[in-house]
Amino acid sequence: MLYLELLFQGIVQGSIYALIALGLTLVYGLLRILHVAHAALFTLGGYLGVIITNATGSLALATVISMVVVGFVGMAVYKLAYEPLLSKPPFIALIASIALFIASEEIFRIIFGPYGLSYTTPPLQGYFVLFDGFFLKHGEALVIVLSVVMLAALGWFSTKTRLGVSWRATVTDPDMASAFGINTQNVRYMNFFIGSALAAAAGVLVALLNNLVEPSMGSVASYKALAIIVLGGLGSIRGTLIAAMAIGIIESFGTIYIGHLLDRDALAFAFLIVVLMLRPQGLLGAK
Amino acid sequence: MTLRTTLLAATIGLGSMVSPGFAENIKIGFNVPLTGFAAADGKSALGGAELAVEQINGAGGINGDMLELIVYDDQASPKESVPIAQKLIERDDVVAGVSGSYSGATRAAAGIFQEAGIPYISAFAIHPDITRAGDYVFRTSFVGEVQGRAGAKLVGESLGLKKAVIVTLQNDFGKSLASGFKEVAGDYGIQVIGEYEYSIKDRQFGPIVSKIRADNPDVIYATGYFFTAGPLVNQLRAAGITTTVIGQEGYDSQNYINIAGAAAEGTIITTSLDRDSSATETQDFIAAFEKRSGHKSDMVAASAHTAIKVLAAALQSSGAMGGEALRDAISATDLTASTGRITFNQLGEVQKSVQVQIVKDGEWRHHSVIDDTALLAPPTE
Amino acid sequence: MAYEITLVTTMAISILFALSLNFITGFCGQISLGHAAFMGVGAYTSAIMMKADIPFLLTIPAAAILAGILGLLVGFASLRVRHDFLAITTMGVVFLFVGIVRQQEFLGGEIGISGIRGSSFGRLGFMAICLGLAGAFAAFSLLIKRSWMGYVFDSIADNEDVSRILGIDVSKYKLIAFVVGTSAAGIAGALYAQHFRFVGPDSFGFVESITVLAMVIVGGIGSVWGVAVAAAFLSVMPLLFQFVNDFKILAYGALLFAMMRWAPDGLAGIVARSMKKLRGRS
Repeated sequence: MLYLELLFQGIVQGSIYALIALGLTLVYGLLRILHVAHAALFTLGGYLGVIITNATGSLALATVISMVVVGFVGMAVYKLAYEPLLSKPPFIALIASIALFIASEEIFRIIFGPYGLSYTTPPLQGYFVLFDGFFLKHGEALVIVLSVVMLAALGWFSTKTRLGVSWRATVTDPDMASAFGINTQNVRYMNFFIGSALAAAAGVLVALLNNLVEPSMGSVASYKALAIIVLGGLGSIRGTLIAAMAIGIIESFGTIYIGHLLDRDALAFAFLIVVLMLRPQGLLGAK
Repeated sequence: MTLRTTLLAATIGLGSMVSPGFAENIKIGFNVPLTGFAAADGKSALGGAELAVEQINGAGGINGDMLELIVYDDQASPKESVPIAQKLIERDDVVAGVSGSYSGATRAAAGIFQEAGIPYISAFAIHPDITRAGDYVFRTSFVGEVQGRAGAKLVGESLGLKKAVIVTLQNDFGKSLASGFKEVAGDYGIQVIGEYEYSIKDRQFGPIVSKIRADNPDVIYATGYFFTAGPLVNQLRAAGITTTVIGQEGYDSQNYINIAGAAAEGTIITTSLDRDSSATETQDFIAAFEKRSGHKSDMVAASAHTAIKVLAAALQSSGAMGGEALRDAISATDLTASTGRITFNQLGEVQKSVQVQIVKDGEWRHHSVIDDTALLAPPTE
Repeated sequence: MAYEITLVTTMAISILFALSLNFITGFCGQISLGHAAFMGVGAYTSAIMMKADIPFLLTIPAAAILAGILGLLVGFASLRVRHDFLAITTMGVVFLFVGIVRQQEFLGGEIGISGIRGSSFGRLGFMAICLGLAGAFAAFSLLIKRSWMGYVFDSIADNEDVSRILGIDVSKYKLIAFVVGTSAAGIAGALYAQHFRFVGPDSFGFVESITVLAMVIVGGIGSVWGVAVAAAFLSVMPLLFQFVNDFKILAYGALLFAMMRWAPDGLAGIVARSMKKLRGRS
């Protein structure tokens, strides 16, 4: 039973990683940029979630508003920070992105204070007992449900709608897509909107599980998500999902059984290095 | 262009900082993390230190001379604290230094103060080597091991709980607390049935929560700060685990209760600030701090407040003399401050009783006091 | 004077550290997000040897050799992965390094190593040693840059596949770059341990690795004097910026971003462009 619970905890963590890392994969697939500042959008999503829930009392409303607002902020980040750097070597955009992330952590601290914020009446406290001895927290159930719903919606959007198909075509082959008359500029905006909105949703969910948002909340996400998309094969959406789940599950079991030898981050990166030595292109990367 | 303007701004800033201020002020250096990951504790510590200076100056200063706090942000990093210590000593000509920072930064700066023969007091950093820098370095709070031992006595003797799980924060603070706890756990009949570690960046404890339910202990000894312990206890209770949680001074903040919410009820911690103390010093501090800052007091603020008060009392008795005279005056301290009665042993470590607090109706309240001189003996060399 | 000596020593160590990364990233084009791990190896090596009463000067070559050995291992790994995969692998190295160090009792675990004995040179003499080593490595870098090897590095940085077709043993040169760069980082680590007299696992993590990469890129990737100037300035920037207390890190982030946005070729690029303008005018 314990193993099953640990597996489940790994999937919960993996779902959160997946929601964050998907946006990164989308950006990488289109622009070949390691978008570290994505983690700042995750933090912003968490802050908006807590602030709006506390003001209106509705977590659902807060989630939607947070996703939309952060989606637009993501578009602005592209326009102001990345677009002028696209012709430069890739590490320029990487350093710019890191700089943006460092600055935004400080902006959160200066505006909202160093202590962080919590829900005044935390929603969804409690648990189901699914079967003998298997406990499922309400918050964790929501993480799983919301992740599945969003990924399914994304799948539907990218295969069944006109806009979605042109988006997918552009991510796969930008030159070909523009030759077919797709406006790649709009696709890039949409890309950042979707990726950032997913990160915001992850931020709201993490805020719910921890009942805490703080300025440094994105610090782990900033590098862990990079590891996940690299592990998945850079630009592969399926690879990213598998890598997110793998890292989540490894961390879950590792924390309990080898936590005194290697901490969580070191475990994840040890796995990453081993995989890359065997498969330099990542789990599902094209050679 | 951008670079030139920044450089220009930097030069102007430096110029205005080195210009002589009020010549008769007695300057005290204060290194504290105001930006970066430790900014939350730094802000509280600065509030406590500033309050102490205001109170002393309001009461006439040191024989009529005003105290002046020279504050630098060290980002809790030894890389910053070493040059800051040099600057405080050389440029600002401070009579003594106080650290409102964490262990690494404090340990590195302590060596510089010792070399210069300027007294230095660590307000709440727990690294055992800090006072070993030499005879000019003092600490007004517990080392981690002492508090860990107090935790074991609380669990095994006062509460009579025997089957313990330890959740250890992977840094100097968490590790030294856990080692103190384990060192004497056997003496109080405590059996440690599991120990799990987490990093200071972790906020999600799902796997540990599941494992603790499977272990089914009588008590959880969890080391951490309010921003890790708040989510941990919240997640334990949300999963239906009602086992008693024992924490330490890192929990000691109203923020812990805000984060853990209703789940915080019943959490018991070892710390150095007693909210229900009858001592006027403590009551005055709690009231004055809340009035000044607009939020509840915490251990970090009280510790910084205490360190400044100790220094001021020593300055009073040394006749505002620094150096050796001030060092001897600090060694001879016997003062009741906001965190209790302060006396130092030959290493410069404080010997005092441990306060036990419990969360009741969303507030930290008095639970008990652990006063066992042998158990709480700080290191002497 | 002690304050100025401390500042100059800090600058010299940062210059050596940044130039050591410049050798790998700037010369040979191999991006590293984990360079602080090698400084950490050097710092811990020197700290432990100092504790065992070994003369400071002997700890420097030992630090260089151990860091270089780890560098060689990572260099071999770098032959397997390329570009962004390499960047994230090196990032993994630094997380693994910190994760392992913090659990080793003989390295002081979480507590680190403190009370490191001072060298027999005094603070002024030590400053001279740091300046000497930084200067020597800068001169060495310039020498290499202008040599045949420098051209080979350029070619690999520019296009690995073309270099291979030209008959260059790409693997060999990459390994050379890694070993030289990481050994120098190990020396910087030995100096760090002696300078701050304290080493702990958090001193050599991901943040430090990013900080040193920022120095290289702000200076102008590949430019020896540009990187040296940027390292000197950025290493003492938090101290210079004390007057803006609350906005210090924000200012650093903003400066770094502005640099990337408007002058991505760094200080070296800015100077080169202004020189051109001046010459054009005259």
